[in-house]
Amino acid sequence: MNGWLAPKYLIWLLQGFGMTLGLSVTVIVTATLCGCLLALARTSRTVPVRRAAALYVLVFRNSPLIVQLLFWYFGVATLLPEAAMTWLNTSHAVDLGVFKLHWPSFEFVAGWIGLTCYSTTFIGEEFRSGLSGVPAGQHNAAAALGLTPLAAFVHVILPQAVRIATPPLFGQYMNIVKNSSLTMAIGLAELSYSSRQVDTETFKTFQAFGLATVLYILTIAMLEVVLVAVQRSGSRATVRR
Amino acid sequence: MKINLLTAAFMGSLLIMSSLAHADRLDDIKKAGVLRVATFDSNPPFGFVDPKTNKIVGLDVDYAKAVADKLGVKLDIQPTNPANRIAFLTSKKVDLVFANFTITDERKKEVDFSTPYFASGTQFIAKKGTLKSPDQLNDLRIGADKGTTNEQQVRAQFPRATIVAYDDTPFAFAALRTGNVQAITQDGPKLVGLLANVPDRDKYEIPAFTISNDYEGVGVPKGEPRLLSVVNDTLTGLESNGTASHIYDQWFGPKSRAPLPRLFKIGDPQKS
Repeated sequence: MNGWLAPKYLIWLLQGFGMTLGLSVTVIVTATLCGCLLALARTSRTVPVRRAAALYVLVFRNSPLIVQLLFWYFGVATLLPEAAMTWLNTSHAVDLGVFKLHWPSFEFVAGWIGLTCYSTTFIGEEFRSGLSGVPAGQHNAAAALGLTPLAAFVHVILPQAVRIATPPLFGQYMNIVKNSSLTMAIGLAELSYSSRQVDTETFKTFQAFGLATVLYILTIAMLEVVLVAVQRSGSRATVRR
Repeated sequence: MKINLLTAAFMGSLLIMSSLAHADRLDDIKKAGVLRVATFDSNPPFGFVDPKTNKIVGLDVDYAKAVADKLGVKLDIQPTNPANRIAFLTSKKVDLVFANFTITDERKKEVDFSTPYFASGTQFIAKKGTLKSPDQLNDLRIGADKGTTNEQQVRAQFPRATIVAYDDTPFAFAALRTGNVQAITQDGPKLVGLLANVPDRDKYEIPAFTISNDYEGVGVPKGEPRLLSVVNDTLTGLESNGTASHIYDQWFGPKSRAPLPRLFKIGDPQKS
């Protein structure tokens, strides 16, 4: 414990934190979309679709995330043609006038795909439990009112299912933030990676990992706050109706 | 008279004793006819036990043999490990240490070093033809081991290079194989060892440059200038008559199990 970290290393940690946030947000968006589709597929009336969805859950939920990440980063890379790998590993930028949009590194893409595939299974199952948590009477009532199956789903079933699924869904989002630390194994410079980097260069182990821990806890706490806010606005909306 | 004779004899013996005390290690070695040298016994190809003969062989042993031959004495090898090298010298258990002994300012406080006879440093493995000169590093993605000095050196010297750090060297090499990085970095001798076990090693090469340099010299006890100068003269002599490069090629040459280009010759100016 000799002093605080030099500004240079604080910047490293903040850059890593930015990467963790960026990765988590993109994964949350894609995994939520894919999770919706997965939940629909699992409750589909077509048997092959239901089977395929069940198989997907079986494969991606029952193997360790670290192995999946290594698979996407090292395994898939060997399957891709050399030209594709060269393209993925050179930087590409789209000039949008005000700022440049950079194509992310292959580490990011692999981490994003790996985390999305893994988290989709959990989020999909949360949605499914939300859907099955809506009482059967609601389906019947919607039908009795003359709503088409689609309209019944969108206006009656989905809002209730989302409300049931919201708290466990946020639990999964918190898991995504924490799981993103595993991408350090495939060389993605996120928060855990940069805290280790700072530790090996400065030998200020406590400060490096301590700050990383605090930043993770802050992120989770922010999600918690958002959850409470969403629940409050949700209940107010019901009252207004 | 008689007393005088005794005194003279006493003085004489004192003189002999003091001259014995002043006789340096070089004379002791020549008198004993044996040069005692500490080498590694499990660090191929520098010093290791040959399973066929059960004797310690290696690059360091060959250089030690050359020094013993120059002095015209027998060579007596004593196995050591990295931690014991300085203690062996200061406790006079051995006369010289030939054990991949990197010259550092810290160590120079305890022992003297000869002129360097081997150099290693941060080097790279890349697919054949992709990496020719250090300037290219700035535009490449480079795999490194987390927390190594190699990683830090690349970052300091090539700020525009993209460094991807992995948990260990096999991971970094896997990333090179799949094309995620275009080169990986480690100490030259370690890269050679890594490449020796790769089935398709013909596809890769170790470009002939280093971006940092560690120099290995012979450890000589403090306060033995004559011994030190004999070792230095022998080493420079080995370079000028071609023996040094012959010894190198035997362990690191193109036909050896672990080929590593010879970038440093004895007597070359040292780069930092």
